[in-house]
Amino acid sequence: MTALIRAELFKLRTVQVTAWLLVATLTVVVAGGPRPRARRSSRHRARPAAGSALLAVAVASASAGEIIVMIMGILAMSQELRFGTATSTFLVTPRRGRVVGAKLAALTIAGLVFALVSMVVAVPLSVVLIRAEGGTIIWDGQVADVLVAAVLVMMLYGLLGIAIGALVRNQIAAIAGSLTWVFIIEGALAGLLPDAARWSPAGATGAALQIGTWTGNQDMLTPWWLGLLVLAGWTVLIAVVGTRSALQRDLT
Amino acid sequence: MTARGDVATTIVFDGLTKQFGQTHAVHELSATVRPGVVTAFLGPNGAGKTTTLRMLLGLVTPSRGTATFDGRRYDELSHPVRQVGALLEATGFHPSRTAVNHLRTIAVAARLDPRAPGRVLETVGLADAADRKVGGFSLGMRQRLGLAAALLGDPPVLVLDEPANGLDPHGIRWLREFLCGLAQEGRTVLVSSHVLPEVEQTADDVLLLAHGQLVRQTSLSELRAEHAHGADIRTPHAQELDLLLTAAGYPSSVVGPGRLVADAPPSVVGDLAAAHGIAVHRLVESTVGLEDLFLTLTADVSP
Ligand SMILES: Nc1ncnc2c1ncn2[C@@H]1O[C@H](COP(=O)(O)OP(=O)(O)OP(=O)(O)O)[C@@H](O)[C@H]1O
Ligand SMILES: [Mg+2]
Repeated sequence: MTALIRAELFKLRTVQVTAWLLVATLTVVVAGGPRPRARRSSRHRARPAAGSALLAVAVASASAGEIIVMIMGILAMSQELRFGTATSTFLVTPRRGRVVGAKLAALTIAGLVFALVSMVVAVPLSVVLIRAEGGTIIWDGQVADVLVAAVLVMMLYGLLGIAIGALVRNQIAAIAGSLTWVFIIEGALAGLLPDAARWSPAGATGAALQIGTWTGNQDMLTPWWLGLLVLAGWTVLIAVVGTRSALQRDLT
Repeated sequence: MTARGDVATTIVFDGLTKQFGQTHAVHELSATVRPGVVTAFLGPNGAGKTTTLRMLLGLVTPSRGTATFDGRRYDELSHPVRQVGALLEATGFHPSRTAVNHLRTIAVAARLDPRAPGRVLETVGLADAADRKVGGFSLGMRQRLGLAAALLGDPPVLVLDEPANGLDPHGIRWLREFLCGLAQEGRTVLVSSHVLPEVEQTADDVLLLAHGQLVRQTSLSELRAEHAHGADIRTPHAQELDLLLTAAGYPSSVVGPGRLVADAPPSVVGDLAAAHGIAVHRLVESTVGLEDLFLTLTADVSP
């Protein structure tokens, strides 16, 4: 199994798109990140955060790269079908479940790397920007929670991407569909059915990153780790359905 | 390539059947492929060759029947890459990955010697292009890279689907000699093609497929012996010679005024005619080309 995971990591390293995704992640962190801003849901309007939460807010905002890690996961799965490398992959490992398992493990590691790189940039940048505006930096438990949550969220989104890639065969459909979900349907859901939106993937992500504390959104799930659990639940659900269909399909 | 001797592997198809909805892609295919020779898997477009090979390699699930290597399904092999090398049509490469890195993805996953990718690239003549991205490769180069992937584990069995596609005449000759060499080392070599002349000089055994059904399993020499020799005769006494040949046990028939074809060596026809004082104006050996033979045999099966 370790050989398979190494092979999947090697595949990620040897295509250009991975480097571009890392560049995109850092762009998101630097450009959109360390300023408190509305995330996804149009209903969440940014408000000046209370003193102690300032750093947490900045860090949470900076972790918007999870969507990019999700795309990396989708590509890791769907490019195999798009470019026809699935044939050689399954010739090497005829037990397809092991391939999906190795991809999940590889994306966990890749997600961790992307998250750590993001945080290494986001945290100092947040500190600098907050200082520049005359703010006070307070390192407290909330900052630590958000940091941990931001890393775990990125890792989970990589797995979510694999799950979506297994479920939706067509690469364009998988990417367009999930972006539509994240940026349009989730927003509409938050506006129309806030009770349901709390439990949606984006709602759970917001809860994990404690976005409610600075948007004033009282509907978020608490505590923050419940958000992570719900997100993990979504990932498992999609992975199970997606993997089952991917494993049985004829590869012609 | 290391010498093999003892690791012979026989491929057995047993009642292999695949239906795609209403399409009977492969129907009740039973055949044996032995080690030490090149076996040609022939059939016209859409005959079911690729589907059969994909079932053999565990990529397509059969509707019925089995395909095994020494009794084991592909997914039951302990180390598939070291046991079976495969090249399939529509196998792809990530365009932004280099040739050697494509092979490394396989070598890493299959725990092969890290030097194996370089070695097989050398074998197929792609060493110079090792660090080039596959996106810029020509059809023939991709085909060579696919072949390199098949050879990576130095397997005793090779399953190649139309390996000559996209190769230039030079490449085709090289491939032919290469495959013969592999078979001589004792490996099992199963090669599909829809052009018989392509494998004519390589293959020993032939599996002939049409409309998903096995038409013949035979050896090429047998096939030739059966059909290749005949005589095309011009004589004013066609009817008379026809009767004589038939009486002597050679099937023959009058095909036009003063023209007759017989399933007999020309020497026999000439001697027989001379013995009975029949004038023969023209006597030529008619060799049924394997191409014609292929067309005839595969046309006979109703879909
Ligand atoms: N995924 C599929 N869905 C439906 N029909 C299929 C599928 N794959 C193959 N077929 C059908 O099965 C039959 C056999 O196809 P196959 O590709 O095995 O033929 P082939 O002998 O390899 O032909 P060629 O020489 O053109 O490569 C064809 O009628 C084809 O249309
Ligand atoms: Mg084919």
